[in-house]
Amino acid sequence: MFKSINKWCVAALTFLFFAGSFNANAQGEGLFKAKCATCHQPHKNGTGPKLFEVRKKWADGGAKEGSIYQWVNNWQAAAASDPYAQTVSTWAASAMQAFPELKKEEIDAIFDYVDSTPDPAAAADGKDGAVDGVATTEETEEGSFSWVWILLGVIFAVIIGAVSGVRRQLKAALSDSKDADEQSYMQEFKTWAWKNKIYVGIATLVLVMSLIVSLVLSLGDIGVVEDYQPSQPIEFPHDIHTGVNGIDCKYCHNSVTKSKSAGLPSVNVCMNCHKQVNGRTPAQQEKIKAVYAAAGWSTEGAGSYTGHTKPIKWNKVHVLPDHVYFNHSQHVVVGGVDCKQCHGDMTKQKETARVVPVGELNKIEGNIPLTRPTLTMGWCIECHGEKAIQEGPLDGKKDGYYDEIHKRLLNNDKSLYNKYLEDGKVTVKELGGWECAKCHY
Amino acid sequence: MSTTRKYWKGLEELNETPSFVQGRDQEFPQSMSVDEFLADENLKETSTARRDFLKFLGFSVAAATVAACESPVTKAIPYVVKPENVTPGMPTWYASTYYDGTSYASILVKTREGRPIYIKGNKDFGITKGSANPQIIASVLPIYDSARLAGARKGNNAASWSTVDGDITAKLKEITAKKGKVVLVSNTIISPSTNAAIAKLKAKVNGGDETGTSFEHIQYDAVSYAGIRNANKESFGTDFIPDYDFSKAKTIVSVGADFLSTWLLATEYTPQWSSRRNPDGEWMSKHFQFESVLSITGSNADYRGMVKPSEEANVLAYLLNKFGVKTAATTTLSKQAQDVADLAYESLKKSKGESIVVAGSNNTAVQILTNKLNAVLGTYGKTINTSNTVNLFASNDEALNTFVTNTIAGKAPAAVIFYGVNPVYTLANGEAFGKALAKVDLTISLAGYTDETASKCKFICPDHHALEAWNDFNPKKNHFAIAQPTIRPLFETSAAQESFLVWAGAAKRGGKDSSVVYDLIKTTWSADNIKATSKYADFETFWNKAIHDSCIDVAVENTPSVFNDAALAKVAGKLPKVAALEVVLYRKAGIGVGAQANNPWLQELPDPVSKVTWDNYITMNPTEMGTTYATTFDQENGLNLASVKVGNKELTLPVYPSPGQAPGTVGIALGYGRGANDENIGNAAFQTKEYGGHATDENGKRLPIGKNAFVFTSFENGTLSYSANGSITKVDGIYPIAATQIHHTVMGRHSIVRETTLDIYSSKDKEAYNPAHMLETHHGPEHISKFDLWEAHPVEKIGHRWGMTIDLSSCIGCGSCLVACQSENNVPVVGKDEVRRGREMHWLRIDRYYASDEEATVGTRENKETFDYGKAEVAAQNPKVVHMPMMCQHCNHASCETVCPVAATNHSNEGLNQMAYNRCIGTRYCANNCPYKVRRFNWFNYPSYKKFTQVNPAQDDLGRMVLNPDVTVRTRGVMEKCSFCVQKIQAGKLVAKKEARPVVDGDVTTACAEVCPTNAITVGDWNDIKSMVRKNADDKRSYQALEEVGVKPNVWYQVKVRNEKNADLEKLQVVKESAHHGEKKDNKAHH
Repeated sequence: MFKSINKWCVAALTFLFFAGSFNANAQGEGLFKAKCATCHQPHKNGTGPKLFEVRKKWADGGAKEGSIYQWVNNWQAAAASDPYAQTVSTWAASAMQAFPELKKEEIDAIFDYVDSTPDPAAAADGKDGAVDGVATTEETEEGSFSWVWILLGVIFAVIIGAVSGVRRQLKAALSDSKDADEQSYMQEFKTWAWKNKIYVGIATLVLVMSLIVSLVLSLGDIGVVEDYQPSQPIEFPHDIHTGVNGIDCKYCHNSVTKSKSAGLPSVNVCMNCHKQVNGRTPAQQEKIKAVYAAAGWSTEGAGSYTGHTKPIKWNKVHVLPDHVYFNHSQHVVVGGVDCKQCHGDMTKQKETARVVPVGELNKIEGNIPLTRPTLTMGWCIECHGEKAIQEGPLDGKKDGYYDEIHKRLLNNDKSLYNKYLEDGKVTVKELGGWECAKCHY
Repeated sequence: MSTTRKYWKGLEELNETPSFVQGRDQEFPQSMSVDEFLADENLKETSTARRDFLKFLGFSVAAATVAACESPVTKAIPYVVKPENVTPGMPTWYASTYYDGTSYASILVKTREGRPIYIKGNKDFGITKGSANPQIIASVLPIYDSARLAGARKGNNAASWSTVDGDITAKLKEITAKKGKVVLVSNTIISPSTNAAIAKLKAKVNGGDETGTSFEHIQYDAVSYAGIRNANKESFGTDFIPDYDFSKAKTIVSVGADFLSTWLLATEYTPQWSSRRNPDGEWMSKHFQFESVLSITGSNADYRGMVKPSEEANVLAYLLNKFGVKTAATTTLSKQAQDVADLAYESLKKSKGESIVVAGSNNTAVQILTNKLNAVLGTYGKTINTSNTVNLFASNDEALNTFVTNTIAGKAPAAVIFYGVNPVYTLANGEAFGKALAKVDLTISLAGYTDETASKCKFICPDHHALEAWNDFNPKKNHFAIAQPTIRPLFETSAAQESFLVWAGAAKRGGKDSSVVYDLIKTTWSADNIKATSKYADFETFWNKAIHDSCIDVAVENTPSVFNDAALAKVAGKLPKVAALEVVLYRKAGIGVGAQANNPWLQELPDPVSKVTWDNYITMNPTEMGTTYATTFDQENGLNLASVKVGNKELTLPVYPSPGQAPGTVGIALGYGRGANDENIGNAAFQTKEYGGHATDENGKRLPIGKNAFVFTSFENGTLSYSANGSITKVDGIYPIAATQIHHTVMGRHSIVRETTLDIYSSKDKEAYNPAHMLETHHGPEHISKFDLWEAHPVEKIGHRWGMTIDLSSCIGCGSCLVACQSENNVPVVGKDEVRRGREMHWLRIDRYYASDEEATVGTRENKETFDYGKAEVAAQNPKVVHMPMMCQHCNHASCETVCPVAATNHSNEGLNQMAYNRCIGTRYCANNCPYKVRRFNWFNYPSYKKFTQVNPAQDDLGRMVLNPDVTVRTRGVMEKCSFCVQKIQAGKLVAKKEARPVVDGDVTTACAEVCPTNAITVGDWNDIKSMVRKNADDKRSYQALEEVGVKPNVWYQVKVRNEKNADLEKLQVVKESAHHGEKKDNKAHH
């Protein structure tokens, strides 16, 4: 296995080296990116077919000499004059744009550049495989490490037990010979405890108190789901989508501004991008295939929908109890709260989503620091007590709704308003954000 | 790498050891018998000691508890392709139309994630102006009834649609070849497209012969209005129902027509009527009602005369006589009715041409008299439009009667198709008809259930539920409407129109996503008579507009018809006969003709007048009950039974005291006794036992709720008659009954109900009819609001203060608000037994108060010196009635809040009395302390306890789909009550916030307010001085119920104003120096 990976690496590196040395055509690259890259990729079919060694393909296919250049300038003319071009025009329903301004040399430069690009799938295959392998090993090592500790603990416990047993047997043998009273462990302990009753008393008190305290504290953990990270049918990496690719959260969670639920993207939203993006590595391709299976997308040819859809059953990460009403649009649109205040920095979330512990949330710049565990009621109302309602006469911004509320306060009870403003802000709590029926009904 | 792996549970399995193979092949070894096993001596030694057992028990309980702490994994499944107009978490509203053969309304259907969960009237479009009756609002529930047929049936077995269609088509072909007759019995079809589909089937059966008679279509309504049509044929030459406009009538005389609840297009008339009941309006109509059973309309009339059904003609003849028209009918009336008739005459004379006379009777002669009176009054062309005819209720009683008698006599047609009708249940001779159906060659029912008629048919081809189907309607000549589906069909049902077309060979079954009916309607609507208006350039624009609004209007000219006096000759000898006891068959607002008898919301909806749930009964005036039937209503001990006999038919029912019932009459509600042969029409249609399960007879058949009074209907003088002459005898035995209100009068408690007359209201000061509550102090009288135990809540200062005003002048007590509240707030149904224990869960109730003889009107004391509480308890023979919706008053000084030990109920700074269910520990102190008795306690876990399986829709997976996902389903042991629809308040506020504008009227409303057909309920922000609710609350008619207890509610009532003369009341309602003096004396006199 390793051998083959090494071989792949060597092959890829060699290829890169050669390709790099031949790739001197900067003009081709510039033109390709400006004119072609929207629809074409060198090694993969997208909206348009892949362009790698396309001249060879045309020549092999029996195209007329020069018809490929005519195609680029005006594909309809080419299709009319060349039977091969005619067949190419049926490749996809979407028609290609005409580029009459491109000269033959420029087109050649583009093709030269395309032919010189390495196939990333072939190159990355080996590399990624190796990385995966390492990661797995690490995990195993970590796992076995903790096992060692547990094993050691058990061995020590057995040794202690055995030793004390030996000691006791010896002592018994000894007392037998001395013909003294035979004392059980309990009696021994009682005598010892009586002798040191002050220390034992204090120790017991401390023990009991700490037990009670820890019990009470642990009661507070009931229903706390910090760090909850259920497994998912598709390992969705947020960091790649929103971090690397910079997709806005609202693109996929698009009902966040309209509805109480932010909405999981429906599969057709995934397909907006994934029709083109089908993964560079086999591992990625495997994951994306799950999206295709859900959407009923067949990758054959230019790709098509088969109609056999299979909804993805995600495991819900942020689960609120049924008696809690939470509205995303209220917080995002009206409150202007950033997603990261509650969900953390998703651009760095490598694995599937999880409930980010409050400690981590607090580290994020711009977040209101809170103390209670994430997704508990304490956490919610703590924020309601901190978050200022910015709009209104306070900062001169215009908001019809809060202007009216502030006006009513000002006109009716100035002293109450001033009390609110002692900390320089009117908080959500002061306008009723701590009331039961704001979230429970 | 190998892709197929072998997994094994152990080395034994891997190596397939002999013992393993034996164990695997024989999962339950038989080698050792039970006796052998128990005889094993070793077992005794292995017995578990008691202490060990307790240890195990303790451990397993602890382990189970710990394990239960783990929260379950919740799945989230997004759409694969999200429909464009669905946003998860947001409701989608569809404009549609409701028509079930008796009720019609333009409606709005609320769907969440594709599930219809709530229906309200459409206030923007349609002839019903947002009005909808309880049946329409509750019709969202039966779509999730698991008793609905899941597919086509042949005989008693499920069959595929292709089999059924094949069989039916073959059979029809056979019949056509033999020139056999095919009869389609349907309710009145007002759908142009359905008629088009039926025409195709007709052509097919007639073999393309236009004049063929092989196919007969009989329209039959359970409650027929053929009398009106026949009378109009005699009077004006054509058979039609005219368009009534109650908003133009200054005097309304109704003779037995319950036009605010069940009569004709009541949903259209209610808003018309209420628009002229505002005492501050340009003018206020004067409403006279003559009737036998106290109806919703009668309870809202200014004057009410009690007449027997046979006297209805006398009222009309009496009035005609006064106008100088002699008729064949006698003019004798009881003193009471004659007094009212005299007043009616005076009023009619004053408002000639601006009045309306309607009659509820289905007797042609009575309707001819009505027509003559209207002609004399000159109402045609003004309040009654004879050109814009109503297409509803085209029942052909005569044709049906002939068909039924022939069938029973063995002269049945070759094939009968039933669509939208249930004649085996609704015919007096239904049983015989049902038996005769067995002999018919081909019987098909299109019913959605195996109901009384369908169960007698050879094929059942279930139609969609109305919310799953396309349909179109032409209720009136000038109005066309569309019903659109709000959910994909839940079951393998198929639209009736599609069935007709398939059998006519004009279409193919399209399954669940069929577009057959959609295409049919589109074709019909592209015809010129509908597309008439030139406003729309092209059909698509017109079509989209029609679907968006759900309806369109076309122009119809109003040319008044001229009454042909020859019709009067047809009156003599055709009038209802007089008898000592006349039995009146009436309809309740909730159950109607029984089509939704399986709807637990409607069964538990208290009758608007009697307040009885889950039963029908004999209504009798308490003054007539005497000692025979007990004089008081006693829920604890039950009611006396009596047997009513009409002809050779007999019904034994409990006798319920009903003040206002005409002497010499008894009333029985139609629509009960559904499923008498244990037909599978839905769980809620049958009686339940005390601890759950259905009550059954000795044969194990489920017992229906109530008795079927349709057996008393008869075919007389060419129409069906809904009154009969009979006799009543007492039957031994006591029957338990469940009513939600067990006291009849308000006993002069002026601080709950306030009422006055239009004269007093317009001539006297507020202090006369709506005096302020003052308390005597050492420095003079002070208003009640000055006295406080607590600091005031700062609701008037911060943000909003949600308030509600209820105009008692407009409220007609129809019960729509109650059903809407139940639907919006997931209020559980509890069943008859729990209602009897006073544990109904309705957040909103409508108190109905009668006046006693001690009161000049409801809520007064006629003579303060002699006022007797004992006598005041008894309602008058023909009492005045007030309907008063009562829900949580959201008191700013709520007495419930101070007694809650855990602060589960507390006050918001928006004026809401909020209820945190998760804090509630169920002490019920709050309910005990509430002066309005509006708090409801969850005695059981209604969504799961077996006692409620039959009645509570939330107990099965299908029924649960109707629940509103924005409202918590409460569990056992917590208190609940009206929340002012806080979920709607929050949603309304959010809309304003997102648009960065202040909340304005219309943003925030409650379920009860938005369905109110008379707009009696107004909800809004009291702190907004421009709001409607503030305007109403500051109105001189506004008062607060039990204001003297000082709880400062956020609900205001507006004094009821009746347009009547009341000399006693005028004496009472005068401005006094200090009104409270009289009150004080009364308190001393009280016991």
